[in-house]
Amino acid sequence: MSMRELVTGGAACAVSGSSSSSSNPLGALANALIGSSSKTQERLKEIPNAAAATSHTQFYDDPVAALPGSELDHPFLQSNAQGSDFIRGFRTAHDNGLADAWDEIQRQPHLDRVYNAAPAPPIQPTLDGPPQRVLSSFLHSFVDSSRSGIPLHPTPLPLLGLSQGDKQCIRDRSSIMARHFFADKSEEFINSQVNALLSSLEIDSDSHAKGPMPGRFRELEDYWNESQGILKPGAHAADGWVTEFSQHRAQHGDPDAWAHSFEQQHGAGGWASEFEQNSKFLQFVSKMSRGELIIDDNQVKPASGSWATEYQQQFNGGASWADEFVHDEVSHGPAQWVNEFATEREQEPVDDQWVNEFSKLHVDDWAEEFGRQVGEGALGDSSSDNWATAYDEFLNEQVASKERSDASTGVYVFSDMNPYVGHPNPLKEGQELFRKGLLSEAVLALEAEVMKNPENAEGWRLLGITHAENDDDQQAIAAMMRAQEADPTNLEVLLALGVSHTNELEQAAALKYLYGWLRHHPKYGTLALPELVDSLYYADVARLFNEAAQMSPEDADVHVVLGVLYNLSREYDKAIASFKTALKLQPNDYSLWNKLGATQANSVQSADAILAYQQALDLKPNYVRAWANMGISYANQGMYEDSIRYYVRALAMNPKADNAWQYLRISLR
Amino acid sequence: MANTELKSDNLFEMMKIHLATDAGKELTKKIGLVYQINIAPKKIGFDEVSYVVDLKKGEVTKGKYEGGKPDAIFSFKDDDFIKVATGKMHPQIAFMRGAMKIKGSLSAAQKFTPDIFPKPAKL
Repeated sequence: MSMRELVTGGAACAVSGSSSSSSNPLGALANALIGSSSKTQERLKEIPNAAAATSHTQFYDDPVAALPGSELDHPFLQSNAQGSDFIRGFRTAHDNGLADAWDEIQRQPHLDRVYNAAPAPPIQPTLDGPPQRVLSSFLHSFVDSSRSGIPLHPTPLPLLGLSQGDKQCIRDRSSIMARHFFADKSEEFINSQVNALLSSLEIDSDSHAKGPMPGRFRELEDYWNESQGILKPGAHAADGWVTEFSQHRAQHGDPDAWAHSFEQQHGAGGWASEFEQNSKFLQFVSKMSRGELIIDDNQVKPASGSWATEYQQQFNGGASWADEFVHDEVSHGPAQWVNEFATEREQEPVDDQWVNEFSKLHVDDWAEEFGRQVGEGALGDSSSDNWATAYDEFLNEQVASKERSDASTGVYVFSDMNPYVGHPNPLKEGQELFRKGLLSEAVLALEAEVMKNPENAEGWRLLGITHAENDDDQQAIAAMMRAQEADPTNLEVLLALGVSHTNELEQAAALKYLYGWLRHHPKYGTLALPELVDSLYYADVARLFNEAAQMSPEDADVHVVLGVLYNLSREYDKAIASFKTALKLQPNDYSLWNKLGATQANSVQSADAILAYQQALDLKPNYVRAWANMGISYANQGMYEDSIRYYVRALAMNPKADNAWQYLRISLR
Repeated sequence: MANTELKSDNLFEMMKIHLATDAGKELTKKIGLVYQINIAPKKIGFDEVSYVVDLKKGEVTKGKYEGGKPDAIFSFKDDDFIKVATGKMHPQIAFMRGAMKIKGSLSAAQKFTPDIFPKPAKL
């Protein structure tokens, strides 16, 4: 009958090669488990009854020894596996009736392939959690199931609160998606997948009475009618299934309607992001871009999707450009590079390696040349390359994103290829380099030190300060956190943490550290009230600091902290006043001048800011942060060409200053 | 400071002051459009704070735009806005990833580049 035909891969179903070829194992299984083929039909018809009667387990007990009652997730490559899976299928089928039984039967042809491919257990969607997440993970498992070829287990999901519109969307979307994903599988498989998905989500359209079955379920109906005669207790469950199927009207309509409705419901963004990773989906996307399916509204996304993959492949193809460049450097001068850069921006896979290469090359020459070239307008207008550049940066971001995410969570990222590892006294070396102003070198030496002695607070502290001066707040914070672990009462560390967090606009954290500074200060510790620790309000902290300032007006540090505090609250005038007071007491502190300048810049007194920065730079010529800040001030005044020079100087000293790179890009536009 | 402070508030404050300067006046001449920017702390669409960056008159105000329709309305998450405004994320990338939502005139939106925002200097 139809069942057997399906089981043995008869011509009635339009199955593709993979299905039909592996139907034999099912036949084999059926035969092995069930005996002669004449009995097959009968037994297999009994299968739906399993929904109602669990006594069936006995039936399978003989060939499958250790089975009863156990959920066997681990695959073992024997026929046992198939049997056990069969059983498992029926257990889950218990809840959702015949649809599942149908699934399991369908699944058998794939078991072979699945188990031979060293499978993982079928993806279990998370059934807890917020409906959104449940839904999305469930949908993901739906998608994933396409990849692994394991049909979706219809699993009872907690009430997801899907609206009618949502349900309709999901139904339509999933049927179309399924058709694309499973284009090489059988019609039945598609249907079963979709139905599994839908039944789990309890999606049904307007409640109809039992109507005529949709055409694709013809075979199912035949089978059903046959088994009707034999079915006894399972009837009620089966009825439910019938109703469900009859209610299910997959309205494919035209893709447009679906697309429109989906677009309205979810927005192009959600859709694209959800399926972004699926390669089959990208085929779908490329179909769309070719016009087979049209989405109203935004066409940008689909088009760029395929372009994205292309570029990605190109990028992954290698950093050969960087290598090439290194070899060619000898013959080309930096000037030629600039031109090459301008013309070849479309193709360059800019990545960290390139940056590193650059730091080793004749950076100074490049910097000056570049600055001059730009001044002369050699680069020209590259607005047409915007798209390419944009994608460039996106990939940059991806490449660097891991690093950044590490740093942003406070994990320090060590540099590769550190020449100072193994140095007898890296701390001293680091201090020397710092004093000389070679900040990037100092970073390496200090990293060697803290790799040797992870508890060295001074090492971490200096490392943090060096990073801050190098204009890398992320690393500064990470290093300072380690310093704080090693020495929780160190005032400088606390102040530095406060400053870095202020720069990152993280006010709550900054407040915490500045307040910590107060608490741990030998003189002012008494001012700090313990109950404030939990709910730090800016006003209270400011008040306390003002008291401290009155206590000892000669203490520059208090004024510095006050200045930073006022920056937090954007009371720039007060901040400027505080810094000026501090500077009167400590006129040679270059970082104070920088702070003053930055405050002035942020209150848009750019001319004053530049003067202050100049003072800082006179005191410390390699102060990368001050150079970058200078650039910012010029850029904010609209003097972009000047700003470029300063950014370039900063980058010459520290090629890893991401901020400076970004600002440079903006200025170049 | 209350926890409802957005990091973006800093940028808008700076923008406000910036627009009063010469460079700011240049902007109004160059662009001359009205933008409304909705910033949400965690997820776009929830608890949004609106700012109107009026590059016709050269002012920044908090709250939705009264007196007509803004030329373009943007929606961001707090962090994403900072990234776009400081140039860490390219606006086109942001748009592609759905980190930035746009309503209104697309050509007006295209003029919304990071360089119209003044950058914060680092202490």
